[in-house]
Amino acid sequence: MAYSFYPGCSMEATGKAYLVSLEAVSHALGLELKEIPDWNCCGATVSANAIGDLPQLAMTARNLALAEPAGNDIVVGCSSCYLNMAWANEKFKTDARFRSQVSEALGAAGLKYEGGLRVRHLIDVLVNDIGLDNLKARTIKPLAGMKIACYSGCQTVRAIRRRDFDNVEYPVMLSRIVEALGATPVPFPAAARCCGGSQQFTRVELIHELTGYVLETAAKNGAEAIVTPCPMCHMNTDVYQAEINRVKGTNYYLPVFFLTQLIGLAFDLKPKDLGFSFNVVSPDKLFAKHNIKN
Amino acid sequence: MSAANEQASRFDPGFAREFYALENGEYAKLCMQCGLCAVTCASREFMDLPPRKLFKLVQAGDKEAVLQSQTPWLCTSCMTCTVRCPRGIPIIDVMHGLKYFLIQQGSKAPVALMSKIFAENMLRRGRVFELALTNSFFLKAYGPVGAIPIALKMRSVGQPMLLKGRLPLKPPKKIKGLDQVHKIVKKATEVMKREGHQDGV
Ligand code: SF4
Ligand code: SF4
Repeated sequence: MAYSFYPGCSMEATGKAYLVSLEAVSHALGLELKEIPDWNCCGATVSANAIGDLPQLAMTARNLALAEPAGNDIVVGCSSCYLNMAWANEKFKTDARFRSQVSEALGAAGLKYEGGLRVRHLIDVLVNDIGLDNLKARTIKPLAGMKIACYSGCQTVRAIRRRDFDNVEYPVMLSRIVEALGATPVPFPAAARCCGGSQQFTRVELIHELTGYVLETAAKNGAEAIVTPCPMCHMNTDVYQAEINRVKGTNYYLPVFFLTQLIGLAFDLKPKDLGFSFNVVSPDKLFAKHNIKN
Repeated sequence: MSAANEQASRFDPGFAREFYALENGEYAKLCMQCGLCAVTCASREFMDLPPRKLFKLVQAGDKEAVLQSQTPWLCTSCMTCTVRCPRGIPIIDVMHGLKYFLIQQGSKAPVALMSKIFAENMLRRGRVFELALTNSFFLKAYGPVGAIPIALKMRSVGQPMLLKGRLPLKPPKKIKGLDQVHKIVKKATEVMKREGHQDGV
């Protein structure tokens, strides 16, 4: 199965482990991901504040225009990139005024988008194209007994407003994947709660509270680890965990995995190909407990 | 001026019209004050005005209260309110329009600074260079001396980021079509200004 692939800036920096493990997993699954040639940053959720919504969505539409000749669905892993790209695409298809405005902007750069593509979140592709049965069949080392909080994040399931691929209140797709890998998803009412997003520099108290709540809920429900598809959720729960422990006097020890890192483990891929070296909360103790060699 | 008049002079119906003309601003008209966004919002405990009240004050023309509010700067774009609002108001888009307006007016809020730095950074190469983004934010927000205690306070975050290779030291390569990106943004900005901002509400 061939797809156009949009990594986005974070997969090349703060979320590098995601990219590395996605490459390993897609190889194992025969997923052919072809990076959109010369893609540009989508602007995340902050640049619209500085340049306006229309310019940002038009910029994002450049990536759609570049991907269109290949004709494949676009796969996006980062929730924020997915939000921008899927929304630009949806609006392009359903709002004639937006379509003509964006076409005019693309035209200024000699580009054109016909609206012929679908933008898909990685979770959607894994569940609906690859299929849970296939994920299960490919699982060589089931993650039996591993208790996981499945943290979809807020934007992942809400990006396309009401035309969601998962339940916007109680997302379930991620837990189904985790189940297929043999692990046990714990009840996790914070699955679609906000982690505070990109306010790490601007209002760190927001991260302490919101991410703190996510960690607390995971711990309370008996999770040994958290899994997420979102680089921002990963950053806040993993990198800020020590800081939250310090500020709140808590003592969480919850390794946080990208979805693809967990899939790779169950597929018995080499741990060194799954980017665990980028994880700040060390997964070593957890691996030792479950007899996983790192 | 009597107290009642003073009170009345705070409200400027012209401001409501001004707000509705912002990009996505017209959606604020649709708010029916049900309060769902207020109980829903992830940042509600930090906000001075929940989105519901903000929209009420827009409708009433309370310019000062709206422009002073911290609400747009606390919105994390989590979209919870947006998928729940029974009137279908894309609240995060309204917040974008308001923040854009406030930034044009010279807002000094940290998110205003962050948004500008992010956009500049992104438009320099076509992709974001996160290390430079972090550095320029802290330098501009706190100055070279003021940034040091912040950096020390945040070392439980910064150190592992660097040690674990999550903040590459080298910038990403400039994309080939950087010029296209600039042309697109320029044209879209023209269109946004030319066509007013009404989004067909
Ligand atoms: S949920 Fe929508 S209609 Fe209800 S108060 Fe909030 S913005 Fe207004
Ligand atoms: S999108 Fe903003 S206003 Fe809406 S619930 Fe999230 S933080 Fe609150």
